[in-house]
Amino acid sequence: MIETISWLIPLPPLLAFGLIVLFAYRSNRVSHTLGIGAMLITWALAMSVFLFAVSGGELPVSAEVEWLPTGDSSFNIGIWIDSLTAVTLFFVAWTMLAIFVYSVGYHNYGKARDPKDRPGLPPHAGGIDPMYARFFAFISLFAFGMLALVVTDNLLVLFVGWEIMGMCSYMLIGFWYGKDSAKAAMVKAFMTTRVGDVFMLLGLAYLYWLTGTLTYSEILFNPETLERLATTPSVLGPGTSAAALIALLFFIGTVGKSAQWPLHTWLPDAMEGPTPVSAMIHAATMVSAGIYLILRIFPLISAGWQPGEPLPDIMVIIAFIGAFTALFASTLAIGQNDIKRVLAYSTISQLGYMVAAVGIGAFVAAAFHLVVHAFFKGLLFLGSGSVIHGVEHGAHETGDHIDPNDMTHMGGLWKKMPLTFWTFLIGGLTLAGFPIVTAGFWSKDEILAEAFGTGHIAVFIVLALAAFITAFYIMRQITMTFLGKPRSEAAKHAHESTWTMTVPLVVLAIFSVTIGWAGIPRGFPVLSSLVPNWVQEFVDATLLEPAEALEFNSIPLLVSVSVALGGLLIGYLMYRRLEAGAPDPLARLGRVYVWIQDKFYFDELYDFLFVRPAYWFAETFVYRGIDRRVIDGFLHWVAGLAGRLGGFLRNKIDLPIINGTADLVGEGVKTASHEGRVIQTGRIQTYLVVGIIFTGALLSYIFFLL
Amino acid sequence: MVPLSWFLILGAALFAVGLFGVLARRNAIAILMGIELMLNAVNLNLLAFWRYLWSDSLTGVVFVIVVLAVAAAEVAVGLALIISIYRRRSTIVAEEINLLKW
Amino acid sequence: MIEDYLLTLILFTPLLAGLIVLLIPKDRLSLIRWFALLASLVPLVLSIYMWRAYDPGQPGFQFQVQVDWYPAIGSNFHLGVDGISVVLVLLATLLTPVSILISWNIKDRVRTYMALFLMLETGMLGVFLSLDLVLFFLFWELGLVPMYFLINQWGSEKGTRTVAGREISARNYASFKFMILTMAGSLGLLLAISLIGVVGDTFDIVEITRKWSVLDQPLTLLGLPISVPIGVVKSVAFWAFVVAFAVKVPIWPFHTWLPDAHTEAPTAGSMILAGVLLKLGAYGFLRLVLPLYPAQAKDFAWVLALLATISIVLGAFAAWGQKDFKRLVAYSSVNHMGFVVLGIAAAFYAAGTLSADDAVFAANGAVLQMFNHGLSAAGMFMLVGVIYDRTHTRDLASYGGLFPLAPIFGGILIFTSMASLGLPGLNGFVSEFLVVRGAWPIYTFFTALSMLGLLVTGIYILKGIRGALHGPLNEKYADTPMEITRREVIAIVPLMALMLLIGVWPSWIVEVFNETVMRLVGA
Repeated sequence: MIETISWLIPLPPLLAFGLIVLFAYRSNRVSHTLGIGAMLITWALAMSVFLFAVSGGELPVSAEVEWLPTGDSSFNIGIWIDSLTAVTLFFVAWTMLAIFVYSVGYHNYGKARDPKDRPGLPPHAGGIDPMYARFFAFISLFAFGMLALVVTDNLLVLFVGWEIMGMCSYMLIGFWYGKDSAKAAMVKAFMTTRVGDVFMLLGLAYLYWLTGTLTYSEILFNPETLERLATTPSVLGPGTSAAALIALLFFIGTVGKSAQWPLHTWLPDAMEGPTPVSAMIHAATMVSAGIYLILRIFPLISAGWQPGEPLPDIMVIIAFIGAFTALFASTLAIGQNDIKRVLAYSTISQLGYMVAAVGIGAFVAAAFHLVVHAFFKGLLFLGSGSVIHGVEHGAHETGDHIDPNDMTHMGGLWKKMPLTFWTFLIGGLTLAGFPIVTAGFWSKDEILAEAFGTGHIAVFIVLALAAFITAFYIMRQITMTFLGKPRSEAAKHAHESTWTMTVPLVVLAIFSVTIGWAGIPRGFPVLSSLVPNWVQEFVDATLLEPAEALEFNSIPLLVSVSVALGGLLIGYLMYRRLEAGAPDPLARLGRVYVWIQDKFYFDELYDFLFVRPAYWFAETFVYRGIDRRVIDGFLHWVAGLAGRLGGFLRNKIDLPIINGTADLVGEGVKTASHEGRVIQTGRIQTYLVVGIIFTGALLSYIFFLL
Repeated sequence: MVPLSWFLILGAALFAVGLFGVLARRNAIAILMGIELMLNAVNLNLLAFWRYLWSDSLTGVVFVIVVLAVAAAEVAVGLALIISIYRRRSTIVAEEINLLKW
Repeated sequence: MIEDYLLTLILFTPLLAGLIVLLIPKDRLSLIRWFALLASLVPLVLSIYMWRAYDPGQPGFQFQVQVDWYPAIGSNFHLGVDGISVVLVLLATLLTPVSILISWNIKDRVRTYMALFLMLETGMLGVFLSLDLVLFFLFWELGLVPMYFLINQWGSEKGTRTVAGREISARNYASFKFMILTMAGSLGLLLAISLIGVVGDTFDIVEITRKWSVLDQPLTLLGLPISVPIGVVKSVAFWAFVVAFAVKVPIWPFHTWLPDAHTEAPTAGSMILAGVLLKLGAYGFLRLVLPLYPAQAKDFAWVLALLATISIVLGAFAAWGQKDFKRLVAYSSVNHMGFVVLGIAAAFYAAGTLSADDAVFAANGAVLQMFNHGLSAAGMFMLVGVIYDRTHTRDLASYGGLFPLAPIFGGILIFTSMASLGLPGLNGFVSEFLVVRGAWPIYTFFTALSMLGLLVTGIYILKGIRGALHGPLNEKYADTPMEITRREVIAIVPLMALMLLIGVWPSWIVEVFNETVMRLVGA
């Protein structure tokens, strides 16, 4: 029963995609009914699996069928439900459902289509999007990719879902493909993540070769295999184990998909897509999938390592990338004025937390933060979409031509859009880790506590600093957007969005707060006795050897409380009186601020270092140089040589020698006969005379000389 | 009886006259007549030799009859050709009939 | 009963139909087209029947036909199929009707065109079906002639190439280059076949395989008083075979005929060229080179692997460097066929050794990649043909934002491009994964390097989509009917269905050749 349900989870969205694309695309109503209906079914299935799991059902649930015969054996695919799957399903299903419902309002369902609108461009004046049906088709396929990735029991299907999401994100980031910026962003997103994907493919091939399987149960939950992988030297040499190299290859996949430094540049540009897509990418799918992957292969990453021992190289790399990204991206977030770009950098930074947590072996903390992050980041994105929507409406009413994403034109929206404001505030405070009430506090605190408790002080300091900056930029955003006075006509005339947009906000806001209570660490004063640390016990059961929960320590707690509150306070104080047209208070930082605004020039650097040389290599070197000049040149040279040889044979041998001889004979005969024809007088008398003379001569000869 | 040599001399004279006509005349009919003279000179010789040397066989007479028949045919075709040429070109001078020359 | 004549029927129906087409009055266009289409469906139906009736578990060739043909030199008319040829016959018979259907827009000398096309099909099928070297060579060359004329007569009318200071029309140049390079390659093949025939006293592939590969006596050639060590003879013959097939595949650096020929050929010609003709070379590697020269194949496999990797990487880069959409797709064939050769090289190296399991993966991947590339390359060329038909240009920069004008076309283009890119869930991924999995333990470095090609594959595919569909609408075409027609949709739907089917459920097709491949590499 539960197996059947698990099999079915990814299928409704896929079916919806197929039906919309093939039949329903003409009707917006049927299309969104199909999309949301399918998502509801999936949600119900996922919840029943989740409830089964938390109510003490026997885990893992697994089943498989034969997929691809190879040689004597065959490759099987199936489903695998353990605690990690269950909690992932939980947040994925909720956030997706919220996003699906939200999309109805966001794309102005119910409004008439503006005849000026073209497919591929955002609606001009609040009409329904011309590609409304298509949006639901793609987003359903997107959901399918993620769900398939989550419920599968092997890394190959995980990769399939992974790539399907890559393709869907490509299509959806470029949903408004008529804009040049979207056109560039879609390619950038796809290609940057693909850099990671090809490494991941290598990792798959390597792992498949070494173990003959890609199924979780036979690799990740099989101590013998892990042991063997950890002791086999890799193809690089005896310095690294096969397990470490495979883990590294997979991790590069995560770096691409979860937009970690140095492959982070695509995510902010991906804001070109409609806001529900951003929410989808940032909360429910794509980037979460990257973290899900490293959580999933955590046994491989940590093969041969016991908690308490010094970290192996691979984990150090992961921890470094994660911690660095967390700090790096959070600094970039403070320089952005685009409401969605701030959130994009925030996502990169928060994902850095999770990656760092995996790097230091804090499996549960990473999973916990993943869940919490999905809810509050989904909330923040949908909230920002609501804000943009409101400001856009204001702009249409007043004829004010402003960029509706630009926070410097906002301010004072809390009165116009109260529901959006309160839910956004909850999301923002959760992101900042506002103590006790928000879930973000508990999950982030757990990561900090792990870093501190396991003695990775450097990671702890970096993450704490990042937490401070995080609190600062989110408060900057809230203050600039909602507080103070309106700084433009559009902001003055903004109004609250429809219920299809606000209800999802409320649902997500509730989860952003309450989820945290499931993970209050043991030993926390007062509260821990009220609520057990359910997350720790449940999620930890994923691993073969669950780690012991750390002893409670108050230092990281105090640090995390103080950075959160400090950041929020400074952010509020600096931005509460921002005037329209006034320079950003941070501009006082001078050149540093410019660098931050220009994203430390990573885009330009990559363009200079990779893109241009590669294109030069492709176009000028390979095509014009090697193929056209060298190879074709050689062929033409050979052809020319053959031509010249033929010319030589004809002009120097055939014509003068062979033809010449033959011609000489012919010409000689011709000349001789031409000259000799004069004896042919045509007069019979002449011939007779000659005949008589000859006859006479002959007779004389016979008579007289013989 | 007249000796054989008389006939032979007459034949040779006739032949010489015919030969002269063929070689020297430009008129095609005259040439044809020259040829007839030469043929009849040969006939005369044949008959003379038959009568004096092999009178018991018919070979000489038969030969003469064949030659006469051929000569008659020749004159018929030759004259017809000459008339045809004359009609087309209004001349029967041998040098002027040179269409096939060179 | 029908099994006895099955292969003969499949092989000669197109040729016969081609001759009949020539008897139809030349102004009865629709009769000619429909007749050609229906006639090309006959081999398709027969080969589907053959695929159903083929028993993968049974070793050796099936549905064999053997008739005395040229007893003076010991060559027989010998046909037969194993798992690999079944799949490729299926591909060829599938793509021919599709290409004929897409050739409706040919207006000029339709009768000759269709006749040549059907003749071409016989040529291709003959190579896949022959079990006699002379017959093999005969059909190998037979395929060239119709293709030459298709490019030369019905190729794109625009474009010139300057060679050695003289300007010649591009289609003339391309057809000539195609013909000459392929002929040059098969010259050695002919000599090597003659050598084998003389030494082995037969041209029958089955018998030759048994005799020739175990031959170890020095040879006395041509009655000359010198004897040549067998290793040297075999190496020379091996390279003669390899070069012939390498030109056809094509492997870098023999590949430059391909972009020219593909670009200049008419749409259907490009489809067949990329879809089937390129597979002849790869098929030759598996059918002849590996069984005949196991030792040389193992020794020189690294050369093939190196060239395959170069093909993959440089092919992808060269595709990226194109401004011409069709040439971009053409170069993608170099890139994709590189994976076929990489798989074959890995199989060459590992066949019969302890790591034969890896060779099974690699060779399975190579065969599947042949089929997959046949589908996706044909599909891509078709779509490029559709867009060219409407806009009369192939220049990527001059399209721009056609998606709103042709949403269905756009969807199909994206689907097919994604299959070509190797998106998991579609066909290309399965075969590329198998090749990578099989080649990784054998040629780790080359496989890792080929990932660079895979990355750039993504770039050039997206470049194509982006140039054609995305961006601001090009007002020039705002009033042009851009959408794909029903006939064209009907032509591509079978291809798309197969791409999806293989991507989601590859076992139905892998089962057909899996055991043949296992026997081939000795696992």
